[in-house]
Amino acid sequence: MARFARTIAHTPGCPKKRNRAAAKTRWTLRRGGLATAAMTAIDPIVWNDWHPVAARCTLDPARAHTTVLLNQPLTIAIDGAGTITARRDDGGALHQDERYGLVWVCLGTPDRPVLVIAEADEPDRPAVVVGAVAVRAAGPRVIENFLDLGHLGYVHAGYLGDDPHTRVLPYSVAALPQGGIIATGCRMYQPQASPAATEGFDVEYVYKVERALITCLYKSNPLHRDRFDVIYLFVQPVTETTSVAHPLLLCLPDGTTPQGLRAFQQTIFLQDKPILENQRPARLPLADGADTPIAADKSSVAYRRWLSAIGLTWGVIPAPAKAARAA
Amino acid sequence: MILYDAHHLPECYAVRLFAALVGAPLTLVPVDVYPGHEHRSDDFLARNPLGTLPVLVDGDTVWTDWQEMLAALALRHDAAWFPAHDPALIGWLGMARDLAASLGLARLIDTFGAPGDAAAARARADVLLDEIERRRWFGERAGQVWVMPQAHPTIADVAAFVFIALCEDAGLSLRDRPALRRWIDRVRFAPGFIAMSGVFPPMTNVTR
Amino acid sequence: MTNLATGVWYAIAADHDLVDGHVYRTVLGGHELAVWRAQSGTVQVWDDRCPHRGVRFSLGEVVGDDLRCQYHAWRFGPTGACTFIPAQPQMKVPGTIRARTWPVAQSGGLVWTGIDPAGPVPDLPPGTVARAIPIARPAAEVAAALVALEGLAPVVQPLDAGTTMVRAIATDGDVPRADRVLVALRRRLESAV
Repeated sequence: MARFARTIAHTPGCPKKRNRAAAKTRWTLRRGGLATAAMTAIDPIVWNDWHPVAARCTLDPARAHTTVLLNQPLTIAIDGAGTITARRDDGGALHQDERYGLVWVCLGTPDRPVLVIAEADEPDRPAVVVGAVAVRAAGPRVIENFLDLGHLGYVHAGYLGDDPHTRVLPYSVAALPQGGIIATGCRMYQPQASPAATEGFDVEYVYKVERALITCLYKSNPLHRDRFDVIYLFVQPVTETTSVAHPLLLCLPDGTTPQGLRAFQQTIFLQDKPILENQRPARLPLADGADTPIAADKSSVAYRRWLSAIGLTWGVIPAPAKAARAA
Repeated sequence: MILYDAHHLPECYAVRLFAALVGAPLTLVPVDVYPGHEHRSDDFLARNPLGTLPVLVDGDTVWTDWQEMLAALALRHDAAWFPAHDPALIGWLGMARDLAASLGLARLIDTFGAPGDAAAARARADVLLDEIERRRWFGERAGQVWVMPQAHPTIADVAAFVFIALCEDAGLSLRDRPALRRWIDRVRFAPGFIAMSGVFPPMTNVTR
Repeated sequence: MTNLATGVWYAIAADHDLVDGHVYRTVLGGHELAVWRAQSGTVQVWDDRCPHRGVRFSLGEVVGDDLRCQYHAWRFGPTGACTFIPAQPQMKVPGTIRARTWPVAQSGGLVWTGIDPAGPVPDLPPGTVARAIPIARPAAEVAAALVALEGLAPVVQPLDAGTTMVRAIATDGDVPRADRVLVALRRRLESAV
């Protein structure tokens, strides 16, 4: 088994916002001396996109943080003034930005900025960085699991579902105009939908996949049942079959502390981890006949087909080419 | 009793699990160790200068060693779990500490980005898992269901279980360690068992 | 994958590996296998992969005569056919949803399977099944080293291209001795690289 990337630094002071100014800096291009040809083999869809590589709050001036993005070792340093510098260990070029408390890197040529999240600007929704978790699974598998409704009553029994409330009711899936998919009208009975929930209730969900390795859900809040909590999952592609999950919470105030939110979300993701690490093949198969989906898997089917349509090759087993099959 | 607890640490899970197995009520106080580092806060260090989790508090008594907590809970609730007359218990608890320093460390490095040498920690854990597998295989042959010769499970089972059950987080596999996999299932099916993230509770109580 | 011969029976588990409710996990020539005993007593060897979303069956558990996947709790009966899908409990499960099953034979205290195995399972001398020992060397090299071992009737299971499981019958019944011999062999072969 390949040695796994070190990805998160342990430093004090995570919950505090240290440097608000730095978070607003525009993305910068940093070019080192050596340009390598290693990138040529890597899927341009992920190579030219932005990926999170660290959380500001976990960076430590005393020790540089090392990680891997798309097979490229990176070192991320923060100085005493709060300035963050990401470098490729081979000296190659990269673009750097900071959004939502996370450091973002693009190794290729970015053709668009880091994903804009409208809810992050709503004043009553503090962005809570959950704490990255490394997982030995392909990025697209991590996204697909996030969209999955049928496992909630089993893998997250007692939290996000419960037997015998395991029926997945019909829901709708559509294409997003700017690319990606949206699943609406998803409903699940949840015994403890969030740390603030004191009783089970029928939770309504909307899921979106806006980029190949970014997904989010909108979920009924137990106190504000007319508004939604928003949970993003950004997947840092380390190698084709290993990833780091960076969840981000944009939740409405309901008395839950950031610590409580973090612990809850980590608990949920760590419940999924052994499932993800025991899925075979390691890369997500995109051919229609590779697995056996049912109606409840509509969003997973749509996600796989969308990945096929955009031609993603990273972390997947592409479907055999078919004439006139593009969506 | 109050348990200062981090949900993702096997040492904390050992105390939660054992309390559930013997029916000891615990009040959990979550401590944001990752990524919040609350265990390095002044408040926490005043409670436990070692800065380690878990911490168990009962009135004026404070325990900071997770294995000592298991023994204390056993003595209070069900001493059958704590065969103090058998020196092998010392050996097994020591083995569990070795697992903490190897498998547990590799898990923190791999999954949560803690500093350290994961490969070295994994290599040490591999040796321990091989030996525990060997003992378990011969133990089964002799009719021993648990790691100690007693018919009743012991705190040594709990202490070793919480690491071995999470070995995939450390990049280790039980595929070729069938006796360990059977023992893991036996602990999972024990009455009163509770899971933590990464360990599946038994599904058999799930209705069809 | 490795070159797994067709028409050959391979020993992949011992009878004592299969306990109630438990799914034994192994791999044969790169094919991951889940092995379990139904309540009715029949032994099953399946691809260790739920056909729904690819999760290893060996993460799941045996419930009566069914194997239940850990991910979505789909249940599969002893023929490999899916019998129940909790996400759509009213749906009649299509007969096309099946786990991939392998041929099974039980003989000499061992469970055997293979790709289109032909003829009878190899006859082993009487004795006691020793502990299976994985060795991180290719099957041919391990098999060659086993020829010289006295008092042991070994059977080789290629796991993948570089790893081999050795099962042996201790013909004198001395299982601890067999264990020491095989573990020493493992040490010798693995350190000779």
